[in-house]
Amino acid sequence: MTQPVTLPQYWLEKVRQYRGRNKVSARQKDLGIWQRYTWDDEYEQVRDFGLGLIEMGLQRGDRVAILGDNDRQHLWAVFGAMAVGGVVAGVFTDSTPPEVEYIVGHSDALFVLAGDQEQCDKLLSIRDRVPLVRRVIYWDERGMWSYNDPWLVDYRAVQALGRQAIEREPGRFDQLVAEGKPDDPVMFCYTSGTTGQPKGVKLSHANFIGGALSLGTMDRWSDTDNQLSFLPLAWIAGAALDIAPHVVYGTILNFAESPQTVQANIREIAPDTLVYTPRLWETLVSTIRARMLDSAWINRLMYRAFMPVGYRVADYHFQKKPVPPLWRLLYWLGARAVFQPLLSQFGLHKVRVTYTSGAALSPDAIRFFRAMGLPLRQIYGSTEICGGSIAHRPDDIKFESLGRPMPGYDARITPDGEILLTGPGLFLGYHKSLEATESAIYTDETGRRWFRTGDAGHMDADGHVIYFERVKDLIELASGDRYSPQYIEGRLKFSPYIGHAMTFGDKAHNTVTAIITIDFENVGRWAEKNGLPYTTYTDLAQKPQVYALIRKDVEEVNRTLPPPARVRRFVLLHKEFDADEGEMTRTRKLRRSLLTERYADILHALYSDRPNVQVRATVKYRDGRQSAIDTVLRIESLEAVAPAGAWSVKR
Amino acid sequence: METQLSVGNVSLSFGGTLALHDVSLDVHAGEILAIIGPNGAGKTSLVNCISGFYRPDRGSIAFEGRDIVRMPAHRIARLGIGRTFQNIALYTGLSTLDNLMAARHIHMRYGLLKSVLYWGPAHREEIEHRRAVEEIIRFLEIEHIRKAVVGALPHGLRKRVELGRALALEPRLLLLDEPMTGMNVEEKEDMARFILDVHELRRTTIVLIEHDMGFVMDIADRVVVLDFGSTIAEGAPHDIRNNPEVIRAYLGQQERTMSAWYSAEPAHADHRDRTS
Repeated sequence: MTQPVTLPQYWLEKVRQYRGRNKVSARQKDLGIWQRYTWDDEYEQVRDFGLGLIEMGLQRGDRVAILGDNDRQHLWAVFGAMAVGGVVAGVFTDSTPPEVEYIVGHSDALFVLAGDQEQCDKLLSIRDRVPLVRRVIYWDERGMWSYNDPWLVDYRAVQALGRQAIEREPGRFDQLVAEGKPDDPVMFCYTSGTTGQPKGVKLSHANFIGGALSLGTMDRWSDTDNQLSFLPLAWIAGAALDIAPHVVYGTILNFAESPQTVQANIREIAPDTLVYTPRLWETLVSTIRARMLDSAWINRLMYRAFMPVGYRVADYHFQKKPVPPLWRLLYWLGARAVFQPLLSQFGLHKVRVTYTSGAALSPDAIRFFRAMGLPLRQIYGSTEICGGSIAHRPDDIKFESLGRPMPGYDARITPDGEILLTGPGLFLGYHKSLEATESAIYTDETGRRWFRTGDAGHMDADGHVIYFERVKDLIELASGDRYSPQYIEGRLKFSPYIGHAMTFGDKAHNTVTAIITIDFENVGRWAEKNGLPYTTYTDLAQKPQVYALIRKDVEEVNRTLPPPARVRRFVLLHKEFDADEGEMTRTRKLRRSLLTERYADILHALYSDRPNVQVRATVKYRDGRQSAIDTVLRIESLEAVAPAGAWSVKR
Repeated sequence: METQLSVGNVSLSFGGTLALHDVSLDVHAGEILAIIGPNGAGKTSLVNCISGFYRPDRGSIAFEGRDIVRMPAHRIARLGIGRTFQNIALYTGLSTLDNLMAARHIHMRYGLLKSVLYWGPAHREEIEHRRAVEEIIRFLEIEHIRKAVVGALPHGLRKRVELGRALALEPRLLLLDEPMTGMNVEEKEDMARFILDVHELRRTTIVLIEHDMGFVMDIADRVVVLDFGSTIAEGAPHDIRNNPEVIRAYLGQQERTMSAWYSAEPAHADHRDRTS
């Protein structure tokens, strides 16, 4: 066969390579025991199902919607539909019937694969409103015994049709696979649609293959790699990180027994690649720490002895310095005595490729896992770029960045701060929406097409891209520059010494300033350790040494920001932001307008050249009494301030 | 329709309290029969008589033509009557899997010696039982708690494990004593689906005691109403809903229970606890 150019062609090449070699392609638990399925099994399953769809009237380019949990039949159905020229539209399993109706209707799907009874019921409830759907195919027959509706078809019945077709025309399947073109759409991925209805992102074979090849350039992927497939396959991450590497590299896909058993199954499988959200990684940090506390004394002793070694070595890595031989030896011991056994408790001792995606992960968690020997890396992308496009390299990790553009991909920042992406994964367009496609694509002077992410960011001197927030949430300063309150405040809060931070800046001012509250417990402990006497929160917050401590954290964050967006002056508040006083919501979100009003004096001082500001705080006691406390707050300036005129505030 | 279980003029009393008074009912093979009634009407007592936990003072109970009135509970279970309890009665120290395997005990043929040797037939049999149990685990979607200790599980899941244990007996008649108490709406819907699936897949006859009228009306083929130990109505769900006798029993009883509850409340219990 010639060079494969579509996903099914890659897949068929793997099938031929492994034919008769009993090579595992997928595993799934059945009645509590892991069952293995070889590439030969997969070939038959996929071929029979794909041809069955053709027998039922599917033509090249027709859409097939799929909603069901990740399992082997889901995978086979996806490949079956793709192999014969179908375009797969994934639907999340927890979608409500109106959501299912929207995607099935919008994609003009002729066939819908609904995993089980629950999903079939959703289809039955919207049957009148999706007139194009010819058949609904289910693969989990539990609970389906009493449904006598010819609209619903068993997956195995479709395959039986396929087998009849093979007897008639043995070469049909291979021919259909060979007819595919790299730029044909192969999947419609519906974006979550926080604004308006979801958009159907049309992705081609070339998009997925390009993405998978790029991943393989950064990390070695091989056909002995085990993956646990639990990210929804309707989500671009699931498709790009499970399906594409499976066909391009022949990775082994293991399916969790049920959505609730993912943790247990990871432990049993010990995967080689793992993508988690920050939330899951952070939960894992606290689980590991909690387990250590409950462990036997010898384990706790070893953990306490070797964790500092791990952290020290991790810091050498982050600073890209060579690890001295003594530390290397100690780390080698620590890895064998503590880190590896501990990770194996969670099935993480074999993980080679570890990504975190979705939001910022705290440096604390990244350092923790790096100390244990797991280099967590950020991967960033979008549906329109077919998954990842910016990622950390294993030896080049910066806490604050998303990483550098992946091999074959490019990123650039527009003058107004938006991140643009391009590369082999650049989508074909939105289904049925030329207008949206046009506004999402930017064509540069050389005719190169870029996707407008709508995300605001910054590219530093090393080519690392730093994400701030959505462009529309940026705040414009008097100079016309924009800054991101959410990014700065989020980063500041990663410091153990900072409780909360509120940045300030608007069209009347040229610079950004901040009101910061200290974390009383951590700063107090730090003060005790450094022999710094203090009495109250207010007293501690106003110590010059504490200002110096916080200043370092602010400078650290400033370093990642373009100069106009940097925090120029800050004040440490005499008290914590208090939900009882309405300064925060109960979920600890700042109430900006109230704070801006209440601390108008402080803000005014921040935009003057005064070195301090006097505040009068009214304290309300529980019994209803009130008293006022006058305090002088120091104001810290980080760089020489601009001419006073620029700062003036009209009162 | 074939009668699978026949209860004839059963009476049961505890000291001076008459729990069941001349209760007669027939359960047809393959139906879902709901027994409803106000608190203290004798529903659980009746189920306890059928499953052999209580011995009625008078009357006959026949299961598939065999008299089971004087039979001990374990033999009744072996005949093919499985049950769940209103107050969950599982081995709280064992895992879900072990609880279900324990229920398979009545189907195990090997004796003490063979099980000690654990060789050949005993081993093969154990595998067969494990398979049956795993099928139930899959059926009830409790894979994630297979190895979890039952005592640590939330109430809704324990109820599901208990249903699983009853199913592990492979009963032909399943007695469910308030399978949905203490559940939220979603858990109740799940439970209703499992009950219907069991009924559909295995053609198991189901006798159900339940307070949630909505579910009873939805899933039962036939309803029997008990009040003060006697049958006061019997029929299809929609007939029962409009039966004046039933409405009176329920509303009347409600008033009584409310007042009884107020008078029974130990007014100073809280206070005493604190001072002692």
